[in-house]
Parts: sequence; structure tokens; C-alpha cells
Amino acid sequence: MIPDHVLSMVVFSVLVALFFATVNHRDRAGFWKSAVKTFGWMALGSVAFAWLMYWTA
Amino acid sequence: MAQEAVPRGRAYGAALLTLLAPGLGHWLLGRRGRGVALFAIVSVTFLSGLLFDGALFPLRAENWLFRLGGIAEAGSGLLYLLGRLLGLGALEQARVTGVMFGYGNTFLVTAGLMNMLLMMDAFDIAIGRKS
Repeated sequence: MIPDHVLSMVVFSVLVALFFATVNHRDRAGFWKSAVKTFGWMALGSVAFAWLMYWTA
Repeated sequence: MAQEAVPRGRAYGAALLTLLAPGLGHWLLGRRGRGVALFAIVSVTFLSGLLFDGALFPLRAENWLFRLGGIAEAGSGLLYLLGRLLGLGALEQARVTGVMFGYGNTFLVTAGLMNMLLMMDAFDIAIGRKS
């Protein structure tokens, strides 16, 4: 496996977003809305956190 | 006020079957599409953990953090058991000091916790608390 931090973060965010969207939503529109929203917040949060760690190092 | 009897045996059965294979409880409760999707998601998360060089911690590890990780990973049920039996994700020096060790563990622990959540979800569906 390629040791890629961004790839692992993206794969993880996609899987977690799909999981919670599948568990919590039965309608297609609600499913995609929830999945995209969760993925976006996770990806954005990870980048923000990484930047914070880089900035404070 | 008389309460409607809930099929507790069926609910516990669905939860235990989910431990056997992610999504199996949902599948048997009639949520077939959801069951298959959940099986795929939890399995891919688990396999990604192994591919990202994560470790399958033993339940009786000396380090208490590793032990906690093992308990969470064991939530994957049969996947964890098979992985341990096949010697996958063994705690070796090269793996522990690898750059992806932490990421892989996060995937494996998350897969176990996802499946624990699915057990509760299947239980709730079986007793009619959730559709």
C-alpha cells in the first residue's frame, strides 16, 4: 500500500460517511445529502487539524 | 396499561448474527439491500485497515492501549477471528514502526465499532424501535 496520508484520510472519510448515511437514511435524496455533508466535514476537519498541527510544530 | 410483547429472542438473534457477519442481521430482518451495503462497507473498512498496515491486537495484550484496541477490533466478529487465525496484522517490529501503522489501526478499530453499532441497530429494528 502506498504510504499516503491524504489517500487514507479520503478513503476513511468516504467509508464513514457511507456507513452513517446507510444506517440513518432510507430515501435516496437524504442518503446522498448526508453522505456528502459528512464526507465534506470530515475532509475539511482533517485538513484544518493537519494545518493546525503543522502551524504549531 | 398492557404493553405489547416484543420478540426479544429474535432481536438478540439478529444482533448476534450481525456479530457473525456485518449486515447479516439486517438482511434476515428483511432489509436486504441495506444488509449487503453494510457488509460491504464494514468489510472494506476492515480490509483497508490490513492493507494500511494496521495490527489485529490480541485481547490479552500486555499494553492496555493495545488491549482496548483489541476489544474494539473484536467487534468485527468473524472478520477479526479469521484475521487472527490466519496470522494477518501480527504485531511485528516492522509494522509497529511503519508510517501507516496508526492509520491502519484506525480503520480496524472503526470497522469493529461500526459493527457494534450495527448490532444495536439490528436489535432496534427487530423490536420495532426503528424502521
